[in-house]
Parts: sequence; structure tokens; C-alpha cells
Amino acid sequence: MVSINELKRINSYEWEIPQSYRADMQVPVRIFASEELLKGVTRDKSLEQAVNACSLPGLVGSVMVMPDMHQGYGFPIGGVAATIYPQGVISPGGIGYDINCGVRLLGSRLSYQEIKPYLDELATALNQFCPSGVGKSGHFRLSTREVEDVCRDGSRWAKKKGYASDQDLRRTEEGGRIQGADPHYLSPRALKRGTNQVGSLGAGNHFIEIDLVAEIYDHQAAQVMGLREGDLALQIHCGSRGLGHQVCSDYVKSLQGAVHRYGIELPDRALVCAPLESPEGEAYLSAMGCAANYAFANRQVLSHYAREAFESVLAGKVSDWHLFQVYDVAHNIGKIETHQIGGKSTQVCVHRKGATRAFGPGADDLPSEYKKIGQPVLVPGSMGTSSWVLRGTEEAMERSLGSCCHGAGRVMSRTQAKKSIRGEDLRKQLNNDGIYIRAGSMAGLAEEAPAAYKDVDLVVDTVIGAGIAAKVARLKPLVVIKG
Amino acid sequence: MIENKRAGFEELEHTADLEIQVWGEDLDSLFRQSAAGMIQLSGVEGLVEGISSVQQNISLEAMDYEGLLILFLEELLYRLTEDYMVYEIQELSVSSEYTLKARLTGAQIKSYQRDIKAVTYHNLNIRTTADGYEVNIVFDI
Repeated sequence: MVSINELKRINSYEWEIPQSYRADMQVPVRIFASEELLKGVTRDKSLEQAVNACSLPGLVGSVMVMPDMHQGYGFPIGGVAATIYPQGVISPGGIGYDINCGVRLLGSRLSYQEIKPYLDELATALNQFCPSGVGKSGHFRLSTREVEDVCRDGSRWAKKKGYASDQDLRRTEEGGRIQGADPHYLSPRALKRGTNQVGSLGAGNHFIEIDLVAEIYDHQAAQVMGLREGDLALQIHCGSRGLGHQVCSDYVKSLQGAVHRYGIELPDRALVCAPLESPEGEAYLSAMGCAANYAFANRQVLSHYAREAFESVLAGKVSDWHLFQVYDVAHNIGKIETHQIGGKSTQVCVHRKGATRAFGPGADDLPSEYKKIGQPVLVPGSMGTSSWVLRGTEEAMERSLGSCCHGAGRVMSRTQAKKSIRGEDLRKQLNNDGIYIRAGSMAGLAEEAPAAYKDVDLVVDTVIGAGIAAKVARLKPLVVIKG
Repeated sequence: MIENKRAGFEELEHTADLEIQVWGEDLDSLFRQSAAGMIQLSGVEGLVEGISSVQQNISLEAMDYEGLLILFLEELLYRLTEDYMVYEIQELSVSSEYTLKARLTGAQIKSYQRDIKAVTYHNLNIRTTADGYEVNIVFDI
């Protein structure tokens, strides 16, 4: 276990595990955390896992971990690692099983005061229109060929089917479609698992939430994003469902052989990888793109249902119930990006596992309005606590490869959470706080209790302190739908 | 849950995912217990009545025992999540050439409580002990 006194303090928010810490490290570990958060982190294996990730061939800069980090499998959650393209490797475990798990934020012109009487009804409607829960399917079944279309075209598929607007696509990372995604690289099982889950939330920590825009910190940026204090917003957190899990499982398995073929030695088999330019690496990159596109389409279709739910409750009662896209961003993904590394423009494969892209002003891939202010960075809190809208900064481009935290980050195991918190009590407590809950299971609810997570405000203060993001708005939950 | 001293499984604490420790007197028993542990974690509920049990033979091959264990668990997980089927293991044998043959009897279930996304390779290492074999398995959920 890595202890605090083995870390080199860079400043109040940054720490380093030097490359000399272990012989197989190719680069150091850079930790973004306040001293307080760091104390919690050293209780689990996150830092040890970050050190393990430093053994991947072709890494550049450092392996970074965000303040919401926690122990995962292979890579820690909250990890960011870049490998040189195309000589370096790509590691499916550095991206995760839920490929393109991500968050979408929709804004509205609905004032909280006006909508307050309808919140309970909206909770019920969202729960009915947006399928959620363990093993739950979406509203329709696709043929294998249609699943292939979804994988190739992502949100563009959704637009063709009438589930998306141009603005939705413009305000989605990569326009909601990763290029080079070839379904030919998917197994029959992955495709089969994709047939009935487009437009489904799933379970675990995935959610749909109606929020109040509680406080604005950057009026200019909030205006560009369309966020106004006192209005409602909606967040959707989910990913690529069974198709994505299958893609990761398939490639973690097939790459076990590749590491032998390429003579790569790793401290943990969950880190298996292949050179980006090898047939195995190219196949995974393409399959990952398919799963990422599936996830973009999934969140897009769920947005469509959420809009229908709002219409069903509010039509005739208010004049404008439209939910407009603020942004949609992935937090489990591998991307080929160009960054300035050591003063040189360098193409790298950035693995973000439980870390959000946070591009600063002027970056490519941002729609014109966000080129001025930087990319919206969506940081959902734990259930019942605040969520944050941040924006990427120039410093993030220089110091964290345009990356930031992705949420609060767990501190308590699920078993411990269930022992100490009863789902029913939690629901009552949240109700007393004025939050409407719809949950598939009470045990599942207890596992996601706020006490099982870090304080998201401290996490956000750390990334702000480190300069890799700037505050735009704080959101307060009003309705929570959980699978 | 501890079945007996020589074969069983137990859930361990893990910050975000699920981990079980499994032990068995031989590899066959270790594989059986691993399957039982995973199915328990998924929280299977109620058999669908009137659906007769289905016989199924599976045959798997891997490069090592750990790879074989993952293949076996993934196979059962896929059938659980896609087909809502759980299986009783009638016969199971693991060979030293890293192959597995099993005869299973399956039954359809109504639901399960937890989506297990995957069986991970994280620190997966089948160890020999004084009483047989032992392994820790981390599931991504």
C-alpha cells in the first residue's frame, strides 16, 4: 500500500509518486487531491493500481488520478493515462467495462417555482417513459443490422430515427459519433446484447435526475450554456449497457494472448493491452468506438423519452417545456487526441476511466459557442447531493491532458453501505429533504447512499484549486430516478 | 456464505465492485463454488413455474486455469442476463490441458437483483493451499 509520506508534494492540490518508486514504472503518478481527500484515498488500493498502470508500454507524461479516485480493477477509477500514438498501447481495462459511460445535461426555461407542484407527477412520468432497472430492456427491439447501424452512427442514427435535433448532436462529445467504428469487430454476443437495450438506463449508479440550477458562479459561461438560476435542468447518467460490457470482456480475453505475442509484461492481467498499430489494438479501438456510439445513441434516446415525459405532464400547463441540450460527455473512454507534450504537438491515446474530458477554450471538437468558454464538464454528485457544471481551462490542456474528475467517488463498499443504511430510511430522508425518488430496488438505493461517497464539493474544490476546471453552476437534485 | 471448511465462498469488502474469495478441495470444486458465488451475488429470484429444466453441455478451452474460470463464469453470466437462465451443475471436470466440460440443468428465472457487468482478471490468481485451491474474483458492477 502506498502511504502519504512516500508522496512528493507539488502544491496544495497535487502530489507525485516518482518513477523511482517501483522499477517497472515507465512514468510517475500525478495525483490531484487535497490533503484531506488523500487521507481517504490511501485506505484503499487506488494508488497501488495507479502505480501498476504506470507499467504500460508507450506512456507519456504521467499517469494521473483525479480527486474522486477509488479502487477499481486494473486501473483505478479516476485514472487518466496517455500512450504515444501509434507506437504505444491501448488497454481495454484502462477504459472500463461500461464503455462511454457518461453524463448528459439538458437545460430548460422551466422555473422551479412554476413547476414545483408537478414534480411528483414528473417523477412518475420519467419513471414510466424511461426504462430502468436490472436487466431491463428499452422500448424497442432492433435487428442485428440495426444494432450495427447504431454502433457505426451513434447519435446520428438517433437523429435519423427522429430522436435527436441538430443541436443535440453539436453539443455532444465527438458530435455523438466516433469515427472508425466498425461493427465487424464485434462478437455475435455483443451484437445480440445490443438488440433490446437502446434507450434503457440500467441499474447501479446510473440515474436520471431533475435538478434546480441553484447557484451560478460564472454568468457569462452559464449564459452561453443556457443555464439560469432558479430554472430546472435534467441529467442522464448511463452507458453502453450489455453491448459495451461484452466488448470489454471479449477484448480483455483476446488480448491476454496479445501481451505474450508482443512480449509485454504487466503486474496485473486486468491491464492487458496491445500496441495501437497492431491488428489486435486496431480491432479493439474500432470495437470500443462501436460501444461508445451505442452509448451516445442510448443517452440520446433516453433524452427523447425524458422530453416526452415532460410534455405529457406539462403540455397545456406551461408554454415552454422543451429540454435543450447543454452537453453530453463520456467518462469511460479512450480517445486519439493531439496534446502539447514537452513543448511538442503529439498524438496520443488518452485513456479516461472515471475521468471526464475537460477541453479548454479554443479546442477542436467543441461547438463554436463552447470554443469561447471551454467545454462544459459535468460532475454529478452522489444521490441527494449537489452536482456541478464546470468548464475546461487552458491549464487543463497543459497539465491534465484536458481531463477532470467525473463525480464524487465511492469511499464505502456496497456491503458496508447496506449494513449501515436501510434503503427505506434513506428514501424517507430524501423525501424529507424535498427530493422525489423512484427506485427499482431499496437495497440498490442503500448501496448508492450519499454516505458511501466522498463529498463532491471537496472533489470540485480540488480540481478548481488545481486550475484544471472552473465553476459555472451548482445543481441541486429535486427528482431522482434509479434503476 | 461458507458451505464447509473445504469448499465454499465468501464476499469480501471492495470500495466499488464486488469481490469473493472462493475455495475448493480440487479445481472442479473451486469452479463450482465460483459459479455458486457469482449467482448468489446476482440475487436470482424465483423460478418460472411450468418451464421444464433444460439439459445443456458446455465445453470450454483456455490458455490457463484463470482464463478457463473467466470463460466459465462469463458463459453462465451471459445465459443469466440474456436468457434469464440459471443452471445446476450436474457434472464438471477441469483438465490439466485447461479444458472444461460440464453437464448442466437449466431453469428459467423471473428476475435477478444485480447487474454484474463482467468477471474481471484483476489479480486473478488460482492458488494452491493446504486444503486444495483458493481464488479471489472481482466482479465489475
